[in-house]
Amino acid sequence: MGEVELSCLAYVKMYLHGCLFPRCSVNGLLLSSSPAGGAVCVTDCVPLLHSHLPLAPITQLGLTQVDVWCAQTQQRIVGYYQANACVSDNSPTPCALKIADKIAEQCNNAVLLMIDGGKMSPDYRVPPIVMYERKDTRWTLKDKHTIMLRQWEETREIANQLLDSGDHSLLVDFDSHLDDITRDWTNQKLNAKIAELASPANVCTWMSRVEK
Amino acid sequence: RANVLIIVLTEMRDKLRKWREDNHRNSEQIVDVGEELINEHASKLGDDIWIIYEQVMIAALDCSRDDLAWTCLQELKRQFPGSQRVKRLAGMRLEALEKYEDASKQYDSILQDDPTNTAARKRKISILKAQGKSAEAIRELNEYLEQFVGDQEAWHELSELYINEHDYGKAAFCLEELMMTNPHNHLYCEQYAEVKYTQGGLENLELSRKYFAQALKLNNRNMRALFGLYMSASHIAASPKVNATVKKANVKYATWATNQINRAYQVSYARCLL
Repeated sequence: MGEVELSCLAYVKMYLHGCLFPRCSVNGLLLSSSPAGGAVCVTDCVPLLHSHLPLAPITQLGLTQVDVWCAQTQQRIVGYYQANACVSDNSPTPCALKIADKIAEQCNNAVLLMIDGGKMSPDYRVPPIVMYERKDTRWTLKDKHTIMLRQWEETREIANQLLDSGDHSLLVDFDSHLDDITRDWTNQKLNAKIAELASPANVCTWMSRVEK
Repeated sequence: RANVLIIVLTEMRDKLRKWREDNHRNSEQIVDVGEELINEHASKLGDDIWIIYEQVMIAALDCSRDDLAWTCLQELKRQFPGSQRVKRLAGMRLEALEKYEDASKQYDSILQDDPTNTAARKRKISILKAQGKSAEAIRELNEYLEQFVGDQEAWHELSELYINEHDYGKAAFCLEELMMTNPHNHLYCEQYAEVKYTQGGLENLELSRKYFAQALKLNNRNMRALFGLYMSASHIAASPKVNATVKKANVKYATWATNQINRAYQVSYARCLL
């Protein structure tokens, strides 16, 4: 069974995407800058939609544009994430399965990640995510022990900090980009903010707070 | 200094009014502005205070600020005892606390006194939606629309529910109703086109192209419509079922769309550099 590692950057942006549109279902693509083979390292994500997830045109457009960007930046699409508007139900919807199937055609250990809206509180002890992998032709639940999120507490702190400071509104998804094409769906600005917060100096401050 | 205060108050009141009129769901901002207005300047608001209490209460529910919502509700209950409108707000608070049965009872009691109360009926449908009971929500909403056939908000809500159930034919029907009554709304044209594109097949693709084009006519900056026009025209041109004339025409449309898209991005890059 394949191991999957989820980076801080990918997790934080996915989480903030869900927080930015709490009344909508949201989705996005999981990317990797590592070569194929071995464990799947999700190093980044691109938030896609917060409206009309089942409709085809914008989804296809998003997939194509992200594909092109990945080719230019030596990344691959390795998965798909979704958070449902209805927090009591975090099972993959038909459109989630469809898109994940499409991704699996190009990437054979692709992952499907559902964000569990009901567990997204600031001090939750484990990441509020459920992962699926493809076995034969069906998407089955992954064993939790094969999913790694290094430095979970720091990651959670970064997400909380960005929420508190209001910086989560910096996040741009593909839908928002289409509303205003000057906005950058690769989120360079937000990436920089996250990197800054993940710097060793900041991490030390938090760890001492957590330990108290 | 009193003058400065008046100016600030007027600004805050105007903001709240604008958000009310535009039906903006910027709840965090409403709570920010509204809470201060209520706590510090209630006496200076005159009769506006009541509609502000209502607006702030709903926004507070949206932000899980039950403390603030409760305060507003108490003021409204005191001022308007027995009011159906306030009863509905009480119901919404119960919904926010996920006490759906109690909320439903509240709305039922409103409907007993006033069977034509559309707000209460719509809240009951919202409860079904919140509970994930899509099929029932759809059924109730259809029944509602048989009686209140002009309710645009309801038609749009129904189209969204159908889209989520992948029932594109019925979603298209709802959007057709909306386009008929709102012929200048580019968003309805564009959403209709997206549904048709999703349904697939040559006939639907051609319809989708036409409606993407119509959306662009109504708003030439609708990027979704522009991309949609490009994609639908390209697919038609690439189809083995079309004759050379149709192919040529669609290649032309696709090319035009590509040029417009490139221009739009060039302009946006220029703006970013400024």
